[in-house]
This record gives sequence, structure tokens and C-alpha cells, in this order.
Amino acid sequence: MIPLTRYLKLGVGVFCALALCAGAAQAPQHINIKQLSTRVEDVVVPLPNEIFGALNKLGTVNWKQHVRSDKGPNFTERPRIALLLGTVIADGFIAVQAEDADTVKDIGQRVLALAKGIGVGNSITPHAKAIVEAADKRNWENVRRELDRTQNSVQQAMNEVHDEKLSQLVSLGGWLRGTEVLTSVVKEHFSSDGAELLHQPDLLSYFQTRLQAMPEFNLPIIRQIQDALVEVKPLIDVGDRRIPPESVKKVNEITTRLGHGIVTRD
Amino acid sequence: MKSQPGLAMASSQETSTSMKSCAKLVFQTSALLLVLVAFQPVIFASVDDAQAFALQAAEPYVKQGFQVREDYWGGDLGSGEKKAVRQQLFKGNEYWFWLGTEVDKAKVSVHVYDSDGKLAEEPDGWEKGHFAGAHVIPKATGSYFIIVSVEESPEDRTHWALVYGFR
Repeated sequence: MIPLTRYLKLGVGVFCALALCAGAAQAPQHINIKQLSTRVEDVVVPLPNEIFGALNKLGTVNWKQHVRSDKGPNFTERPRIALLLGTVIADGFIAVQAEDADTVKDIGQRVLALAKGIGVGNSITPHAKAIVEAADKRNWENVRRELDRTQNSVQQAMNEVHDEKLSQLVSLGGWLRGTEVLTSVVKEHFSSDGAELLHQPDLLSYFQTRLQAMPEFNLPIIRQIQDALVEVKPLIDVGDRRIPPESVKKVNEITTRLGHGIVTRD
Repeated sequence: MKSQPGLAMASSQETSTSMKSCAKLVFQTSALLLVLVAFQPVIFASVDDAQAFALQAAEPYVKQGFQVREDYWGGDLGSGEKKAVRQQLFKGNEYWFWLGTEVDKAKVSVHVYDSDGKLAEEPDGWEKGHFAGAHVIPKATGSYFIIVSVEESPEDRTHWALVYGFR
């Protein structure tokens, strides 16, 4: 007679085996990325709060010192508005990190005004309203979600009218502002793990390629960004090596300069 | 004045032909509409439908604190075809990628590799028919490759959508 415990062990073994079968099929441990026969899709640009989330896990960040709520000028050139819009959405994520409800509400209104400036205001109105409502209730998760939706809706509306290039500038504006804040935080309290968050060479190449395909946007700020990305590339494309404090400082100087250029009239 | 029977006849024939054409057109349009209604799920199925399924797979993870991105990748693949998508991941974050398709008899899979081509996912990834999930806790910040695949499908082309969440 088989004892009950043995039955149980056998049962557990069979259950585990079945569970494994129902789970993922065995994937190869290694693949040759360079020989992928399939086309590789473009990168999805991470949201600033994806980086801020990782940064938060490295230690307490004083987000309040990075909150920016000045309204800035009203541009008429659509590429400038798109860049600024991306930057302002990133500012929204910073204000959420700082749990600053008043700034979040101002930013909601500012995003709506900028979106109207490039003709996609209609798609943003419900999100701007939701941002203000969620900020009033201090429901930060909802504010984050609405900011993500805002950016997504703006970009979808732009893509629908074949303004993909403006849509890319929105992403670029957000990435630059996110990188400015990331480097500012890491510069103040340097850690190798913090500096490693800058290791984004493919993303940088993606933006370089996109900017090269925008010769019609012949604006000083676009040329400045192009030149700056050339400067930044060797500082963050370090392979397996660590990114030193000097590189973090340099990237911060560059992105701060660009950030100032994006919010200031030429 | 004599009537011109030939002309009248021609006119009548024209009217009759025109009415027949009209009836034929109405019949054909109705038939087409019926076909469209009957096969509506197949004809109008799109990447958006696939995205709805991918988001459905993500739902339980939202309760665990994962923020699901609004942005997503999508397209269509034949049986046995793969697609690689590139994604910047940050060390310190935890990610789930969810793949879905509206073709409920299809089998899909998703796996994540680092920039050296080494499998980078946790062992708790899963495949359940037309849904699949892959879990990544990046050991380094950098580019990763997400390989999506339609393993089997009764359709020639199967829509897919990939969404991701992080915490």
C-alpha cells in the first residue's frame, strides 16, 4: 500500500509537470540578434516616469526642486510647439512625483493650450479635464495614466494627419526633459546604478535618425539638438563600462542648455 | 405627328434595363451587406482588437501595481512567423510584456532577449492560447529585444498586439 504522503508527493509532481506544460514553451537560451530574419521594429520611447520610477528605487529624490510651472512663451512654429508639448508633459510627470496638485492642474491646462496650437486640442480635452480632476483628488496613479494617455492621444492624432515628425518631436521633448532631470538627480548624489540609467544609445540613435529626416524643420533649436546629440552619444554609449560622474555632469549641462532653448523664444 | 415607336421602344427598353440594373444593384448591395454582417468579426478585425486582448491579459497585473503603457506595437503575422521589437529597459524597474490576438484558436508566444541575444526573462512567463506574457527584471539598463511569434493559427494572417507594463 502506498502511503498518503507518497500520493501527495506524486500529485504535486504531476501538478508541477502539468503547470510547466501549460506555461511557456521552452525558448532558446540564446539567439543571434544580428541574424534575426525578421525586421526589427523601432523603439518605443519610454515615458519619463519609467526612468523616474527606477531613479526612486535608488534613494529618496527631492522631486519638488525639479518642479517647473512657468508657462513659457507661445510659439507659432509647430515643431517648436511639439517639442515644448513633450517637455510640458514630462514636467507633469515630475509634478506627480512631487505630488504638487496645483502645478499638475496648471500643466493640464498648458498641455491643452499647446495641443490646440498644433490642431489636436479636441483629442486632449477629456484628458486635460481628467488630469485636473485626479489632481484635485490627489489620485496620482490616475494623473500618471492620464498624462500617458494625453501623450498617446496627441501622437495618434498627429499620426492620423500624417504629422509623424511632429509626433516624434513630442517624444524627443519629453526624453530631453527626462534626461535633464535624471542627470541633475544623479549629479547631486552620484551612484553607478543611477548613472547606468543613462545607458540609452539605441534611443539616442533613433532620435538622431528621426531628426536627420526633418530637413524641412529648419529651426535653430532643431539644429542645436542635432549637434547636442552628437556630443552626448559617446558619453552614454560606453558598452559594458560604467558611466563616470564627469559624463553625467556633461550630459546635464547639455540637456539643461537644450531645455532652456526649448522653453525660450529665439 | 406620328409617334416614333422605335424610339419609344428603345426608351421603354432603356427604362426596363435601368430598372433591372437598379434591382440587380440593390440585390447585390444587400447580398454584400449580408456577407459583411455575417463575416464582420473576421473582415473588420484589426490590430485594435488584438490590443484589447493584450490589455485583457495585462488586467490582473494592474492590481499588482504595474503601470500599463498606452503605447503598443502591433501588426499581423503568418503561422510560424516572428517579429522582433526593440525596447529600452531600465535596471531597477520590473516589466511584463503581454501579447494578444483576437484569433481565439491561434497560439502565440513572447520572449525577451538582451542586446547580446541572451534570454533575459524570468521563468514565470506563460502562453495560454491567444495570450502570452513575459516577465523581465533587467540586470542592466539598455536595449532588449522582444520576440513575438504566431506559433499556430487557422488564419493566413493573424493580428497581434504587444503591450507592456512596469513598476
